[in-house]
Amino acid sequence: MPDTLVTIASYILPLFAIIVLIRCTRSMLGNKTQTEIWGYIHKDDGVALINHWENLIGRSKSADICLPYASVSRVHAVLIRSPKGVWRIFDIFSKGGVWVNGEKVQATGTVVRDGDVLNLAGNSVRFRDISEKQRDAIEARRTQSWKRVHPAVTLFFLTIFQAILLLEHLCTAESEYLAGIMLGFVLLVLLEWFCYFAMRSIRRTGFEVETLAFFLSSIGLSVIASSVPDEMFRQMIIVFAGVVAFFVLGWWLRDLDRTKTMRLPLAILSVLILGAVLVVGREQYGAKNWIFIGSMSIQPSEFVKVAFIYVGAATLDRLFSTKNLILFIVFSALCVICLAFSSDFGTALIFFVTFLVISFMRSGSIATVALAITGAGMAGFLMLKMKDHVARRFATWGHIWDAENIWDGGYQQTHALSAGASGGLFGKGAGNGWLKNTFAGNTDTVFGVMCEELGLIIAICAVLAILALAFFAVRNSGHGRSAYYSIAACATASMFMVQVALNVFGSVDILPFTGVTFPFVSRGGTSVLACWMLLAFIKAGDTRKGASFVVRPPEAKTKKQRESAEEREETA
Amino acid sequence: MKKVSLRAFSAILMAFLIIIGLGVYVGRYIKDGEMWALYFDQSTSGSEYTLTDRNGTLLAKMGGGEKSYAENANTRIACYHVTGDYTGNVGTGALSSFKSKLSGFSLITGIEEQDDVNLQLTIDADLNLKAYEALNGRKGAVMVYNYKTGEVLCMVSSPSIDPLNPPETLPDGAYINRCLSASFTPGSIFKLVTLNAALENIDDIYHRTFNCAGSVDVKGVQINCTGVHGQQTIEQALSNSCNCAFAEISLELGPDIIAEYAEKLGITTSLKLDSISTQAGNYDKDGSMSASMAWSGIGQYNDLVCPYAMMRLAGAYANGGTVVEPSLLGQSSKTTQLVSADTAQKIASMMNYNVVYHYGQDRFPGLNISAKTGTAEVGDGKAAHGWFVGFLNDEEHPYAFVCLVENGGSGLGAAGSVINTVLQAAVAK
Repeated sequence: MPDTLVTIASYILPLFAIIVLIRCTRSMLGNKTQTEIWGYIHKDDGVALINHWENLIGRSKSADICLPYASVSRVHAVLIRSPKGVWRIFDIFSKGGVWVNGEKVQATGTVVRDGDVLNLAGNSVRFRDISEKQRDAIEARRTQSWKRVHPAVTLFFLTIFQAILLLEHLCTAESEYLAGIMLGFVLLVLLEWFCYFAMRSIRRTGFEVETLAFFLSSIGLSVIASSVPDEMFRQMIIVFAGVVAFFVLGWWLRDLDRTKTMRLPLAILSVLILGAVLVVGREQYGAKNWIFIGSMSIQPSEFVKVAFIYVGAATLDRLFSTKNLILFIVFSALCVICLAFSSDFGTALIFFVTFLVISFMRSGSIATVALAITGAGMAGFLMLKMKDHVARRFATWGHIWDAENIWDGGYQQTHALSAGASGGLFGKGAGNGWLKNTFAGNTDTVFGVMCEELGLIIAICAVLAILALAFFAVRNSGHGRSAYYSIAACATASMFMVQVALNVFGSVDILPFTGVTFPFVSRGGTSVLACWMLLAFIKAGDTRKGASFVVRPPEAKTKKQRESAEEREETA
Repeated sequence: MKKVSLRAFSAILMAFLIIIGLGVYVGRYIKDGEMWALYFDQSTSGSEYTLTDRNGTLLAKMGGGEKSYAENANTRIACYHVTGDYTGNVGTGALSSFKSKLSGFSLITGIEEQDDVNLQLTIDADLNLKAYEALNGRKGAVMVYNYKTGEVLCMVSSPSIDPLNPPETLPDGAYINRCLSASFTPGSIFKLVTLNAALENIDDIYHRTFNCAGSVDVKGVQINCTGVHGQQTIEQALSNSCNCAFAEISLELGPDIIAEYAEKLGITTSLKLDSISTQAGNYDKDGSMSASMAWSGIGQYNDLVCPYAMMRLAGAYANGGTVVEPSLLGQSSKTTQLVSADTAQKIASMMNYNVVYHYGQDRFPGLNISAKTGTAEVGDGKAAHGWFVGFLNDEEHPYAFVCLVENGGSGLGAAGSVINTVLQAAVAK
């Protein structure tokens, strides 16, 4: 009887995974974003619209405000609006200089008010802010139809998914673990609904990012229930801590000035931690990347991933500053060197690819050269340091089924493939696999465990969930309140995708094997915690009206203020 | 911001690479998933998967990480095309075609937990041995099945190899099961199709006489006959396998009707033996009403047939027009009404007439047989293909058969004697 129940459940389960995935994706990507107007630049030959909070002014076609005059530099100045509505202009090392109402602009920037004349290398334009009325109109228009896909319904489907998953485990688990498994899943469901209602209570309606993370977390919890059921409670504590960290970091990111002040300290702290790991860390499975505090084992490099993005992203005005660039380059290089010395090849690779993505997104003229040289240097260093290791991995790549590799260099891949294929499309049922008992089955080859127990469809859904987050981050990148958020969100998405690619394709022999974790799913305290923190960066890029708690709502105006503003306008 | 958001598309590129990677994985899963799944499963679960013939003779065994074939080397060779091999060289072999039945694996459900599995085929390995011996190294195909139950008793293709010790140089076409996966020039056995069409389309066919002077001229081209048959009835024309008579009938029917019957009788379509698709034959319509058209009704020109389709047709005539669809897996419940009972009865009795009055009953001692021979000219100065297709009129042994001996010279001499050897053994069982 329980066997039949598991079989039936395993056929229904993928349906709910697909529903959750489709609903989240539709909600995140399903509607058009409108171009917002935040001000105007009056030129001799017409009016240019200011569509962003951070705008690049220059001769270049890719500038937000293009001034096609010969004397204007390709990237000349940056015009930034603060959340309070104050505009500032920064001169970013232009040849011809910038003046506001005849006053030279310094590197620290100058406040620009409605009607001010901006002079860029002898070319004068007039800046016009939008009026209160126009702003209200913009705000009103932003109330869009995306709420159509109701997050509570999606979450309800996710809860059904989790309930079926729990049911399968209750049928297959040994009786001593039943209570623990039940508790773990119930806590997860309570946690997600609590988060949902907490967000509703502060009138935040976007919940897709969290839903996808909870979806992946439930698969992760299933892997735990199947492989190390006595760790269920511990895992739930970690997810809980992760969710708390997600909200704390998200709240912290709301204030860009506050965020920026912490970049340097965080960079120093990260390098110190990685250095400390080299000295006092303990080696496990060939990589010296663990610190043991009492009975707790921590993988500090996971936290440094968060710091890496935190430090690597930058606002538009700083993107072109040499100081900022040097900090980023030195920091990246130190991180990668530390990781290389602790033989943590997988993480070093993740850092390296993320470095390339951030570099690509932020690179301006000088930056391009500096970043390219750094990138090449890091790659060369990594190759030298890791060449034996890499050579070994490449030697088995594509040859895992050769007789000498099946039980040796290709052990993890052959077993992952075999177990994965034996699950078919629907899996043998949660808890019914054997791959989980092999070495690093619930981390490095967790894709195989997913395929074996939950089936290929759900395993693919898990990968697609990460891709959905990436598409969301990219889609939001053009509407971010700051380049900082856009870069951070895209870098996070890329980091997730690199991890997924290395984890999945490494374990199925499409790429050489690297032992990295599948975000949210692989077993591992620090890595799950870090994933939730990284998620805050993606959440910060979501500028749909009232969607993200990370984005501050515009200051609420009292009726009186509004009236006085209107009066002023009329008299003007 | 414009620049930042443009460059953000590098992330999309990464997403597409991942999607492509997933596609590659799914593709490999479809191709190799079975191998992957079974690799460790067999060594860990300890279940045994065996393939046996109808008498329980072992043909192949997997389990405990080991794979083996029949013990006797001659059995391995005679049953090679039935069994196939573990590398999948014979696509129609049971190890390939019934893989999922053997292992319990399918791409949809993966591996399902099960006890030891034995797949028993309807094939009789002893008959296969007899047939392979009778072919005596010549290329060809022999197939016998029970037209009442559908069970395929014998299926042999030559040349064959020993899958356990494959030779260094492979005999030409050793991987092809000639019974199912090849088509050949039929020669006179195709006259059954033409006759079938004639019986249903020429009203006075039984009252006609066909004159044979040893050859006939069609639009200036001479069609030679195997002899000078003089005045014949339709029965005599068939048993003489008279080319003059069938040239006349073919021209009267025309290419459209013959093509229609070739398709209706399963000659030019791909058929199914269980899940195995067979090779379709060929009939090119020649609308010129020339000698080519006449030849196309006599089984020459561009005509091709698959031995399996001919055996199935013989089974239909034997069983009153209804085919019990052949199967390798047991008694078949699937039937197809191929021809009308009336036509089937007429052709069946004419095929019996062939044996009694022409081929000679003494060639088949103790067997009540109905058949048609074929001697297919293949050109290039090579000896003709010999065909023999028919069935036994025996309640206890209702067997339909087909035999092809490539370049065997004559239908009756080459293929007929192979069939006699096999049927004698089958009836003696």
